[in-house]
Amino acid sequence: MERGISVKKIAATAVLVALLAAAAPVLAADELVLIVSADSKVEQLDSHEVRKLFLGLTVIHNGDRLRPVLNETDDRVKEIFLQNVVSMSETTYDRSVLRLALIQGQVKPTAYKDIALLKKAVMADATAVSYAWEKDVVHDPRIKILRVLWYD
Amino acid sequence: MPFDRKPLRAYIMSACLRTPGALGMPHFCLRKVLIWAAVSLPWSAPSFAQHDHSSGDFEVFVAAEAFHGTGQTHAGDADPWIDADVVFGLTKHQFRVFGEYYITPDERDLERFQMGFEFVPETVLWLGRFHQPASAWNTEHHHGQYLQTDITRPYIERWEDENGIIPQHITGALFESRQSLGQEGAIQISAGAGAAPALADGALDPISLIDDNPGRHRLSVTARFAYLPQYTGASSTGLLFGHDNLSVSSARTVAVLQSNDAKVSLYGAYTDWTAEPWRIVAAYYYLDVQLAQAARNESFMSGYLQVERQLPGQFTVFGRLEDSARMQESRYVALFQDNDGDIEIALRRQAVGVRWDFNRHQALTFEISHIVSLIQKSNELRAQWSAAFP
Repeated sequence: MERGISVKKIAATAVLVALLAAAAPVLAADELVLIVSADSKVEQLDSHEVRKLFLGLTVIHNGDRLRPVLNETDDRVKEIFLQNVVSMSETTYDRSVLRLALIQGQVKPTAYKDIALLKKAVMADATAVSYAWEKDVVHDPRIKILRVLWYD
Repeated sequence: MPFDRKPLRAYIMSACLRTPGALGMPHFCLRKVLIWAAVSLPWSAPSFAQHDHSSGDFEVFVAAEAFHGTGQTHAGDADPWIDADVVFGLTKHQFRVFGEYYITPDERDLERFQMGFEFVPETVLWLGRFHQPASAWNTEHHHGQYLQTDITRPYIERWEDENGIIPQHITGALFESRQSLGQEGAIQISAGAGAAPALADGALDPISLIDDNPGRHRLSVTARFAYLPQYTGASSTGLLFGHDNLSVSSARTVAVLQSNDAKVSLYGAYTDWTAEPWRIVAAYYYLDVQLAQAARNESFMSGYLQVERQLPGQFTVFGRLEDSARMQESRYVALFQDNDGDIEIALRRQAVGVRWDFNRHQALTFEISHIVSLIQKSNELRAQWSAAFP
């Protein structure tokens, strides 16, 4: 009888530990999400469109020319953007954007180093598209999350 | 207070009526028309978009250069000790305005000024002064030094005011389009038509948007057809075509050419391929010069191959070979040699160098080269600081 209770306790503990272990990555996860203003008519952008947009090429949705907004609030988000969104080194990305400015006068994406200012810029412009940590925008009803760009 | 455009338009229209038009006629009012169109842009009716959003930007590319060349008494026109290239752009809905203003101690010129309408994404019709699309090098680097890995541009790609022999600045219409091909690739078409430079005394004389124009400009038609392995990438390879009808104005030029006009046709191919850490840029041009009253026409060839390799520590090494055939036999080419103490026309050149991107948007470059020109051989050493702001 004693032995049966002990086995049940161990099994329950093991299940609990397993559940916690499985849940831990989700709770601690970092997610970089693609965002637009809640007023934006954009419902989704595929990877190719996102890459075109942040390389300075023209992307139009419902008659609106979309405007890229760079998030440079921390080094990690910048690194993930370069690796996973435009797939370039920082030098190559810089040169690509400068090249388009030189060739056709394309306007360079605006960059923000402060998350509050970035959110304000996105909220104020229904054509703006940016990216941010999910935790920074998930509770803000004026920001619409389109999709997850990267997660850990 | 609302902006009243009527007086400006009335002034411009009256100015146009007072003066004859372009393409061979003097004192045309092109720059006034361009100013009018640029001023009108911000008030254009937004019938195709609900968000009244415009954006503008400017970049300044600056470079300073030190030069030493054996057998030359001074640096050439292509080697100013300092230069600044100011590029500005404005986008409003599907309209675009774009300009490039180039400044050196000896020159200030509005090199490009284009107004465009983007029919669909990446398909634009431009009006204004533009760089002809049949130049593999200049359509990529324009006047900005910072984005050019090396210091010098190949001789065959020189600008008109550097004794360049191919017309580069055209005033008229330029159509550009990039369309998807397959899953990742694209094709790019650029075609321009407009007023070609005139052939003045020892130099090509394109239409100026700032100074007065003496006229005499005839038709230029140029095109490029390219394949891009990636729609968003910088690599491309393609075919080039140009046909420029050049009027000849000076008695000396007529005497040398034995013709009062020259029709220059260009057929070429190029590749600009990046596979990091390598990059290869190569172009080959065949030029045919048709002379009206000469016993025989001329043709010659020129090409170059440049290889670049990125190294750790933001260093890039590069080497370039330039070569030509029959250029020394051409009376047309000989027109551009003015024997003023620098090298105008090179038949061959070998250049090697190293670039160090020591800071974000700043680089130091060293380049040595050996040149065989129409009249002499020379060795050259250059050092350059280049940057882009902001």
